[in-house]
Amino acid sequence: MNAVEIVKAVKDARIPATEITGKAIERIRQVDSEVRALLTPLFERALEKAAEIDRKIEHNQDPGPLAGVPVVVKDNLCMRGLKTTCGSRMLENWCPPYDASVIRFLEEAGAVVLGKTNMDEFAMGSSTENSAFFPTANPWDRERVPGGSSGGSAAAVACGYAPLALGSDTGGSIRQPAAFCGVYGLKPTYGLVSRFGLVAFASSLDQVGPFSRSVEDLALALNVLSRPDPADATSSRRKRPDYTACLGKDDLKGLKVGVVTEFENYPVQPEIREALAKIEAILRGAGAEFVPVSLPATIEAGLPCYYILAPAEASSNLARYDGVRYGISAKAENLMDLYMKTRGLGFGPEVKRRILTGTYVLSSGYYDAYYLVAQKARIRISREFREAFLHADLLLMPTTPTLPFRKGEHQDDPIQMYLSDVFTLPVNLAGLPGLSLNAGYSSSGLPVGVQFVGPKWGEETLLAAAEAVERVLGKPACALGGD
Amino acid sequence: MRKPNTPVIGLEIHVQMKTGSKLFCACSTDYIGAVPNTNVCPVCLGLPGTLPVVNRKAVEYAVRTGLALGSRIGLSTRFHRKNYFYPDLPKAYQISQYDVPLAVGGHLPIGEEQDRKWIRITRLHLEEDAGKLVHSARDGRLGNSEYSLVDYNRGGVPLMEIVSEPELATPSEARDFVSRLRQLVRFLGVSDGDMEKGSLRVDANISLTGPDGELGTKVEVKNMNSLRALERALEYEIARQQECLGRGERILQETRHWDDGKGVTCGTRGKEEAHDYRYFPDPDLPPLVLSRDFVEEQRRLLPELPWDLKERFVREHRLSIEDASVLTELPGIAKYYEKCIREGANPLRAANWIRTEVMRVLNEKRISIEAFALSPEKFCGLLARIETGAVSTTLAKELFEKMVDENLSVDEALKKAGSPSGKVTGDDLRKMVNLVLERERLTVEEIQTGKDAKGKKRSFLCGLVMRESKGQADPGEVRKILAEILDR
Ligand SMILES: [Zn+2]
Repeated sequence: MNAVEIVKAVKDARIPATEITGKAIERIRQVDSEVRALLTPLFERALEKAAEIDRKIEHNQDPGPLAGVPVVVKDNLCMRGLKTTCGSRMLENWCPPYDASVIRFLEEAGAVVLGKTNMDEFAMGSSTENSAFFPTANPWDRERVPGGSSGGSAAAVACGYAPLALGSDTGGSIRQPAAFCGVYGLKPTYGLVSRFGLVAFASSLDQVGPFSRSVEDLALALNVLSRPDPADATSSRRKRPDYTACLGKDDLKGLKVGVVTEFENYPVQPEIREALAKIEAILRGAGAEFVPVSLPATIEAGLPCYYILAPAEASSNLARYDGVRYGISAKAENLMDLYMKTRGLGFGPEVKRRILTGTYVLSSGYYDAYYLVAQKARIRISREFREAFLHADLLLMPTTPTLPFRKGEHQDDPIQMYLSDVFTLPVNLAGLPGLSLNAGYSSSGLPVGVQFVGPKWGEETLLAAAEAVERVLGKPACALGGD
Repeated sequence: MRKPNTPVIGLEIHVQMKTGSKLFCACSTDYIGAVPNTNVCPVCLGLPGTLPVVNRKAVEYAVRTGLALGSRIGLSTRFHRKNYFYPDLPKAYQISQYDVPLAVGGHLPIGEEQDRKWIRITRLHLEEDAGKLVHSARDGRLGNSEYSLVDYNRGGVPLMEIVSEPELATPSEARDFVSRLRQLVRFLGVSDGDMEKGSLRVDANISLTGPDGELGTKVEVKNMNSLRALERALEYEIARQQECLGRGERILQETRHWDDGKGVTCGTRGKEEAHDYRYFPDPDLPPLVLSRDFVEEQRRLLPELPWDLKERFVREHRLSIEDASVLTELPGIAKYYEKCIREGANPLRAANWIRTEVMRVLNEKRISIEAFALSPEKFCGLLARIETGAVSTTLAKELFEKMVDENLSVDEALKKAGSPSGKVTGDDLRKMVNLVLERERLTVEEIQTGKDAKGKKRSFLCGLVMRESKGQADPGEVRKILAEILDR
């Protein structure tokens, strides 16, 4: 059952929320030993929360728009009194004294959190192999990675742990694992979803967003998640639409879909090219028109720009882990020793690599050559997208250049790993919404994803187009024999 | 051009603002005396996932201060992160303003009318305060400590950093500058400006000009916790630098700490670490955009500035500059004085009484004028009696004591003084005069033998009688009776 169906069944008192939760837990128990998507299960708490929903139903109280819907959330979202590790040794046993705003929104809406999902340490990575605890498997081929950094959330939805999951996307961390795991993943417009309680990686790029296996679930989740938040100064105050209202249209007549000319020659695996053609045909069939758009600066500067700005912000955001107040604290001789040992022990190699890069590009003497140049490139990229959206309502793009790669394949080659974000990270740089959807499977049975990118606040267009595709291809399948 | 060997002093002043809540969270700014680490929340502790939201009031207060200094207010400014590791800085960066401060330019007047000097302000910006470290070492330094304790109660309290141009030429000018600025923030109600409590902190940059008047190497002096300490530290530092140069040595560019007990400045031991703060715009905070209407609203809320008020007191009430200075030092005193004037008090007498009696009581009781029980109305009742001669100065002082202690009106105090009829007159008074003359027979003789050409001795006797009557006699009647008896 998808989330919309669960809400209906629970509200109509046909199925108790506790039963839904119980089944989800059963499913997790059945497959998580193979997939390892969860870092911290919260089963008892989930059953209690579900019982609360059932009590509300019994007393004719409104249980909320996500009544009884099981969800799993990435382990960089704070939950009061519960471990929030960010996939790092540094925060191995850290329990925040507050909830992330999005967690509060979900629980107020009646969603039931089943657990915290595995991730690349501090959301830095594209394979979930950078988790300090264990890697997560791709449910469609356990020798392969689920993508990252929200790999645990994507894999969990793909296996039917829950119809909904939360991830965070700084350079593709929702969309890339969504593509690798064959589910929907939405990175909202920067400022649409509150970041309060999301442990920061790169503040100007981070956004929280949902995974699902149906478009209507994605819209339903976005309705709940997109509340303006006074605790986040970058949360937009604009009025939010009802994202489910844009669904159920007969066709896409009048919709202009842009195809980026510069991506035509970019090395992309043939299965992904074929998937793009398939989606194009479906959209044309629904009445959409196709137009070429040009993003030269984005292709040229996007990757280096991102790998300057994101580490720069990260180096500052992660400086607070110093062993003084919380998290691990090394035995040390003096203050400097405490800093060095704590950070040496607490952070994994990829996090260290980015902190070093970020510290370097902000240093006096290098700031102008790196940080400032990257900021200018970012402005150029945003402008380029803005101009493209004068001609197109949305862009059709690959989510990733490759299909899910093997575990360990890129572990010793960070550049190869970084390249897997080439189509996703410009979207973060420009603060735009991006939706990755499943476009079928390769001959070897691996999911193939593509993404829609919209103008700022263009989530409705993305959802409508994704729904048109879903009508033809059906909802994404559940991995490992689930339903 | 400056003469050789002239001190050049610039100041950086951090002012804690009384905004009620911290710069980026809802914790209180009133942390003094609180149990360590109780005035904190996830935001000011910089816990993972938390985000700052700018306190509007801090912006208002800083804008008002900028306007009072005649600065240009930036309508679009931003916050930067100043990155460095230290245990009192929970995020390992301080949110501060860097390339685009809230206010630029302006000036602050020092000195009195005839030699008034306007010291230019470089900039004013907003930033958050850090926590406080307590090191276990005897010398209070981290390096020698076995352990250190940290208290984040102060972390995140809003600060204005105000930087002056290096235009101060003497320690006393520097002192004057800080004292004028302190007076200003008190008048604006944005800070208590208390140096001892650390709500106003001064760092001084000081150098001596070279043989051709060129600027010398700058030394930063910190840790002056009072105006006097500031003046002493600068005097010491000037002498030290002069001696240094006299010996043909070079001045080291460094930060020195003032040791108030020893009366010396000490260099930071070992190598000075070159800090690279890696400033960059804080991505958690959008640009701070202010409308012109907002700025004009803040301008409308400005009170009369203390230096204008002082001049007005001199002009309108014919006070001496000194009286006016004392009365305008604190906004509460100035307000009290003005209320007295509105009550019809004699401006000079009111000024004199506030300066001496009222301020003495405030000092003795260690209270502020706001906590002073006696209302200006009651106080003026007393002044009025002195004015009409109904109460002598001596009695007035006694009555004042009573009025303050028991919060009485002058009439109530008179009743309590044990003279229900209120007056000693007629035969009662004549008896009292005779009694005094009896005791002062020697003086009487001197007067009667013509040894009181200036009438001083007669006045002395008159005073004695007034005292005897506890001020309940009319001085005129006393003189009349005295004349009758002495000139008989
Ligand atoms: Zn706080």
